[in-house]
Amino acid sequence: MKLTPTRRLTLVWAILSAITVVASILGRTPHVDGRLVASTTVTVCILVIALVKCRLVIRTFMEVRSAPTWLRRSTDLGLVAFWGTVLVLYLA
Amino acid sequence: MEPDPAGSVGTAPQPAADGRRAEVRLPGETSMWVFVLGDMVIFAMYFLVYMVERAREPAVFLASQQQLNQNIGLLDTLVLLASSWFVARSVLAARAGSRELAIRLTLAGGACGVLFIGLKVYEWWSEIHHGHTVATNMFFTFYFVLTGVHLIHVVLGLIILTIVLRDLRRPVPYRVSLVESGATFWHMVDLLWIVIFALIYVMR
Repeated sequence: MKLTPTRRLTLVWAILSAITVVASILGRTPHVDGRLVASTTVTVCILVIALVKCRLVIRTFMEVRSAPTWLRRSTDLGLVAFWGTVLVLYLA
Repeated sequence: MEPDPAGSVGTAPQPAADGRRAEVRLPGETSMWVFVLGDMVIFAMYFLVYMVERAREPAVFLASQQQLNQNIGLLDTLVLLASSWFVARSVLAARAGSRELAIRLTLAGGACGVLFIGLKVYEWWSEIHHGHTVATNMFFTFYFVLTGVHLIHVVLGLIILTIVLRDLRRPVPYRVSLVESGATFWHMVDLLWIVIFALIYVMR
Protein backbone atom coordinates (compact mmCIF):
# COMPACT_ATOMS: atom_id res chain seq x y z
CA MET A 1 0.00 0.00 0.00
CA LYS A 2 1.45 3.35 -1.04
CA LEU A 3 1.27 6.06 1.58
CA THR A 4 0.04 9.53 0.67
CA PRO A 5 2.45 12.32 1.73
CA THR A 6 0.10 13.40 4.53
CA ARG A 7 -0.29 9.87 5.85
CA ARG A 8 3.47 9.38 5.69
CA LEU A 9 3.98 12.51 7.82
CA THR A 10 1.39 11.33 10.33
CA LEU A 11 2.91 7.85 10.52
CA VAL A 12 6.40 9.27 11.06
CA TRP A 13 5.12 11.69 13.70
CA ALA A 14 3.42 8.78 15.53
CA ILE A 15 6.62 6.71 15.39
CA LEU A 16 8.73 9.65 16.59
CA SER A 17 6.38 10.28 19.52
CA ALA A 18 6.23 6.59 20.46
CA ILE A 19 9.99 6.05 20.47
CA THR A 20 10.45 9.28 22.40
CA VAL A 21 8.28 7.81 25.17
CA VAL A 22 10.31 4.58 25.01
CA ALA A 23 13.57 6.55 25.35
CA SER A 24 12.15 8.48 28.29
CA ILE A 25 11.15 5.25 30.06
CA LEU A 26 14.56 3.72 29.36
CA GLY A 27 16.23 6.82 30.78
CA ARG A 28 14.48 6.36 34.13
CA THR A 29 15.39 2.70 34.72
CA PRO A 30 17.09 0.88 36.32
CA HIS A 31 17.43 2.63 39.65
CA VAL A 32 19.51 1.68 42.67
CA ASP A 33 18.07 3.03 45.91
CA GLY A 34 16.09 5.59 43.94
CA ARG A 35 19.16 6.89 42.14
CA LEU A 36 20.00 6.66 38.45
CA VAL A 37 22.92 4.41 37.64
CA ALA A 38 25.06 4.43 34.54
CA SER A 39 24.08 1.81 32.00
CA THR A 40 25.88 1.22 28.73
CA THR A 41 23.02 -0.91 27.40
CA VAL A 42 20.40 1.75 28.16
CA THR A 43 22.60 4.52 26.76
CA VAL A 44 23.34 2.68 23.53
CA CYS A 45 19.59 2.06 23.06
CA ILE A 46 18.87 5.75 23.71
CA LEU A 47 21.57 6.90 21.28
CA VAL A 48 20.28 4.54 18.57
CA ILE A 49 16.72 5.82 19.13
CA ALA A 50 17.99 9.41 18.86
CA LEU A 51 19.83 8.58 15.62
CA VAL A 52 16.65 7.05 14.18
CA LYS A 53 14.60 10.09 15.26
CA CYS A 54 17.09 12.51 13.69
CA ARG A 55 17.08 10.59 10.42
CA LEU A 56 13.27 10.41 10.32
CA VAL A 57 13.02 14.18 10.85
CA ILE A 58 15.67 14.91 8.23
CA ARG A 59 14.39 12.46 5.62
CA THR A 60 10.65 12.97 6.04
CA PHE A 61 9.88 16.32 7.68
CA MET A 62 12.79 18.15 5.99
CA GLU A 63 12.09 16.18 2.78
CA VAL A 64 15.71 15.16 2.29
CA ARG A 65 14.55 11.76 0.99
CA SER A 66 13.67 13.51 -2.29
CA ALA A 67 16.56 15.99 -2.17
CA PRO A 68 19.71 15.88 -4.34
CA THR A 69 22.20 13.11 -3.68
CA TRP A 70 24.80 15.44 -2.10
CA LEU A 71 22.34 16.43 0.64
CA ARG A 72 21.08 12.89 1.27
CA ARG A 73 24.61 11.52 1.55
CA SER A 74 26.06 14.40 3.57
CA THR A 75 23.24 14.30 6.13
CA ASP A 76 23.56 10.52 6.52
CA LEU A 77 27.33 10.81 6.82
CA GLY A 78 26.98 13.66 9.32
CA LEU A 79 24.51 11.66 11.45
CA VAL A 80 26.73 8.58 11.57
CA ALA A 81 29.84 10.66 12.31
CA PHE A 82 28.12 12.66 15.06
CA TRP A 83 26.38 9.81 16.88
CA GLY A 84 29.42 7.56 16.40
CA THR A 85 31.62 10.21 18.05
CA VAL A 86 29.11 10.63 20.88
CA LEU A 87 29.20 6.88 21.49
CA VAL A 88 33.02 6.76 21.43
CA LEU A 89 33.23 9.67 23.90
CA TYR A 90 30.70 7.93 26.17
CA LEU A 91 32.57 4.62 26.11
CA ALA A 92 36.05 6.20 26.42
CA MET B 1 -5.42 32.14 -4.08
CA GLU B 2 -2.90 30.09 -6.06
CA PRO B 3 0.75 29.79 -5.02
CA ASP B 4 3.21 31.87 -6.98
CA PRO B 5 5.10 29.58 -9.38
CA ALA B 6 7.85 32.18 -9.62
CA GLY B 7 8.34 31.98 -5.88
CA SER B 8 8.71 28.25 -5.89
CA VAL B 9 12.03 26.55 -6.41
CA GLY B 10 10.30 23.68 -8.16
CA THR B 11 7.17 21.62 -8.20
CA ALA B 12 6.21 19.27 -5.41
CA PRO B 13 7.93 15.87 -5.56
CA GLN B 14 5.87 13.53 -7.67
CA PRO B 15 6.35 9.82 -8.32
CA ALA B 16 7.94 9.11 -11.67
CA ALA B 17 6.14 7.08 -14.29
CA ASP B 18 7.66 3.86 -12.99
CA GLY B 19 6.36 4.75 -9.53
CA ARG B 20 9.69 3.97 -7.91
CA ARG B 21 11.48 7.29 -7.56
CA ALA B 22 10.20 10.76 -6.65
CA GLU B 23 11.48 13.86 -8.41
CA VAL B 24 14.79 15.07 -7.01
CA ARG B 25 14.63 18.64 -5.70
CA LEU B 26 15.85 20.82 -2.86
CA PRO B 27 12.87 22.07 -0.82
CA GLY B 28 13.03 25.79 -0.06
CA GLU B 29 15.85 28.18 -0.76
CA THR B 30 19.49 27.12 -0.97
CA SER B 31 20.54 29.95 1.37
CA MET B 32 18.33 28.52 4.13
CA TRP B 33 19.96 25.10 3.73
CA VAL B 34 23.43 26.66 3.97
CA PHE B 35 22.38 28.40 7.19
CA VAL B 36 20.69 25.31 8.65
CA LEU B 37 23.57 22.95 7.84
CA GLY B 38 26.09 25.45 9.24
CA ASP B 39 24.05 25.88 12.42
CA MET B 40 23.81 22.12 12.86
CA VAL B 41 27.59 21.77 12.57
CA ILE B 42 28.09 24.47 15.24
CA PHE B 43 25.59 22.74 17.56
CA ALA B 44 27.28 19.39 16.91
CA MET B 45 30.51 20.93 18.21
CA TYR B 46 28.70 22.14 21.37
CA PHE B 47 27.28 18.65 21.93
CA LEU B 48 30.66 16.97 21.48
CA VAL B 49 32.27 19.38 23.95
CA TYR B 50 29.44 18.47 26.35
CA MET B 51 30.28 14.77 25.89
CA VAL B 52 33.98 15.43 26.56
CA GLU B 53 33.09 17.24 29.81
CA ARG B 54 30.62 14.51 30.72
CA ALA B 55 33.34 11.87 30.33
CA ARG B 56 35.46 13.76 32.88
CA GLU B 57 32.77 13.72 35.60
CA PRO B 58 30.22 11.03 34.70
CA ALA B 59 28.95 10.61 38.27
CA VAL B 60 28.37 14.35 38.73
CA PHE B 61 26.60 14.63 35.38
CA LEU B 62 24.38 11.61 36.10
CA ALA B 63 23.47 12.83 39.60
CA SER B 64 22.74 16.32 38.26
CA GLN B 65 20.68 14.89 35.40
CA GLN B 66 18.46 13.20 37.96
CA GLN B 67 17.57 16.65 39.30
CA LEU B 68 15.91 17.56 35.98
CA ASN B 69 12.17 17.20 35.56
CA GLN B 70 12.03 14.22 33.16
CA ASN B 71 8.31 14.64 32.55
CA ILE B 72 8.79 18.21 31.32
CA GLY B 73 11.69 17.06 29.12
CA LEU B 74 9.42 14.41 27.59
CA LEU B 75 6.59 16.91 27.13
CA ASP B 76 8.99 19.44 25.53
CA THR B 77 9.96 16.81 22.97
CA LEU B 78 6.40 15.69 22.20
CA VAL B 79 5.28 19.32 21.78
CA LEU B 80 8.10 20.08 19.33
CA LEU B 81 7.45 16.87 17.38
CA ALA B 82 3.78 17.87 17.07
CA SER B 83 4.83 21.34 15.90
CA SER B 84 7.03 19.81 13.19
CA TRP B 85 4.15 17.60 12.10
CA PHE B 86 1.86 20.64 11.73
CA VAL B 87 4.49 22.66 9.87
CA ALA B 88 5.38 19.78 7.51
CA ARG B 89 1.68 19.43 6.66
CA SER B 90 1.44 23.17 6.06
CA VAL B 91 4.06 22.79 3.31
CA LEU B 92 1.93 20.12 1.60
CA ALA B 93 -1.16 22.34 1.93
CA ALA B 94 0.71 25.36 0.50
CA ARG B 95 1.89 23.33 -2.49
CA ALA B 96 -1.65 22.11 -3.10
CA GLY B 97 -2.90 25.71 -3.12
CA SER B 98 -4.88 25.27 0.14
CA ARG B 99 -4.00 28.66 1.58
CA GLU B 100 -6.42 28.56 4.54
CA LEU B 101 -5.31 25.08 5.60
CA ALA B 102 -1.64 26.11 5.30
CA ILE B 103 -2.35 29.14 7.52
CA ARG B 104 -4.14 27.04 10.16
CA LEU B 105 -1.39 24.41 10.23
CA THR B 106 1.36 27.05 10.48
CA LEU B 107 -0.55 28.69 13.33
CA ALA B 108 -0.84 25.31 15.08
CA GLY B 109 2.90 24.73 14.67
CA GLY B 110 3.64 28.19 16.06
CA ALA B 111 1.28 27.64 18.99
CA CYS B 112 3.25 24.52 19.89
CA GLY B 113 6.41 26.65 19.78
CA VAL B 114 4.87 29.16 22.19
CA LEU B 115 3.80 26.28 24.46
CA PHE B 116 7.39 24.98 24.36
CA ILE B 117 8.69 28.38 25.50
CA GLY B 118 6.16 28.36 28.36
CA LEU B 119 7.27 24.88 29.43
CA LYS B 120 10.92 25.89 29.25
CA VAL B 121 10.40 29.02 31.33
CA TYR B 122 8.54 26.95 33.95
CA GLU B 123 11.32 24.33 33.91
CA TRP B 124 14.08 26.92 34.33
CA TRP B 125 12.15 28.68 37.10
CA SER B 126 11.70 25.31 38.84
CA GLU B 127 15.40 24.45 38.56
CA ILE B 128 16.50 27.86 39.85
CA HIS B 129 13.92 27.59 42.64
CA HIS B 130 15.61 24.32 43.68
CA GLY B 131 19.00 26.03 43.80
CA HIS B 132 20.31 24.84 40.42
CA THR B 133 21.89 27.66 38.47
CA VAL B 134 24.40 28.06 35.68
CA ALA B 135 27.14 28.19 38.36
CA THR B 136 26.10 25.01 40.24
CA ASN B 137 28.37 22.67 38.28
CA MET B 138 29.46 21.91 34.70
CA PHE B 139 26.32 19.90 33.98
CA PHE B 140 24.00 22.77 34.86
CA THR B 141 26.24 25.21 32.96
CA PHE B 142 25.72 23.11 29.83
CA TYR B 143 22.04 22.57 30.65
CA PHE B 144 21.28 26.30 30.83
CA VAL B 145 23.55 27.31 27.93
CA LEU B 146 22.42 24.59 25.50
CA THR B 147 18.71 24.90 26.29
CA GLY B 148 19.10 28.70 26.27
CA VAL B 149 20.75 28.83 22.85
CA HIS B 150 18.11 26.39 21.62
CA LEU B 151 15.37 28.61 23.04
CA ILE B 152 16.78 31.55 21.05
CA HIS B 153 16.38 29.36 17.95
CA VAL B 154 12.76 28.62 18.91
CA VAL B 155 12.09 32.37 19.13
CA LEU B 156 13.85 32.92 15.78
CA GLY B 157 11.76 30.07 14.33
CA LEU B 158 8.58 31.73 15.55
CA ILE B 159 9.65 35.00 13.88
CA ILE B 160 10.27 33.09 10.63
CA LEU B 161 6.86 31.35 10.90
CA THR B 162 5.29 34.80 11.39
CA ILE B 163 6.95 35.96 8.16
CA VAL B 164 5.57 32.83 6.43
CA LEU B 165 2.09 33.57 7.81
CA ARG B 166 2.23 37.16 6.56
CA ASP B 167 3.11 35.88 3.11
CA LEU B 168 0.32 33.30 3.16
CA ARG B 169 -2.16 36.03 4.14
CA ARG B 170 -1.18 38.45 1.38
CA PRO B 171 -3.95 39.05 -1.17
CA VAL B 172 -1.50 38.03 -3.90
CA PRO B 173 0.00 34.62 -4.74
CA TYR B 174 2.16 33.35 -1.90
CA ARG B 175 5.67 31.93 -2.24
CA VAL B 176 5.83 28.17 -1.73
CA SER B 177 9.63 28.35 -1.42
CA LEU B 178 9.24 30.71 1.56
CA VAL B 179 6.88 28.25 3.28
CA GLU B 180 9.37 25.44 2.60
CA SER B 181 12.32 27.47 3.90
CA GLY B 182 10.45 28.39 7.09
CA ALA B 183 9.60 24.73 7.61
CA THR B 184 13.24 23.68 7.07
CA PHE B 185 14.38 26.03 9.84
CA TRP B 186 11.59 24.90 12.17
CA HIS B 187 12.47 21.23 11.69
CA MET B 188 16.10 22.03 12.53
CA VAL B 189 14.89 23.47 15.85
CA ASP B 190 13.08 20.16 16.46
CA LEU B 191 16.16 18.19 15.43
CA LEU B 192 18.43 20.05 17.86
CA TRP B 193 16.01 19.40 20.70
CA ILE B 194 15.98 15.67 19.90
CA VAL B 195 19.75 15.66 20.51
CA ILE B 196 19.45 17.76 23.70
CA PHE B 197 16.76 15.41 25.03
CA ALA B 198 18.94 12.36 24.39
CA LEU B 199 22.21 13.75 25.76
CA ILE B 200 21.06 15.92 28.66
CA TYR B 201 17.84 14.27 29.84
CA VAL B 202 17.90 10.53 29.22
CA MET B 203 21.31 9.07 28.43
CA ARG B 204 22.91 7.19 31.31
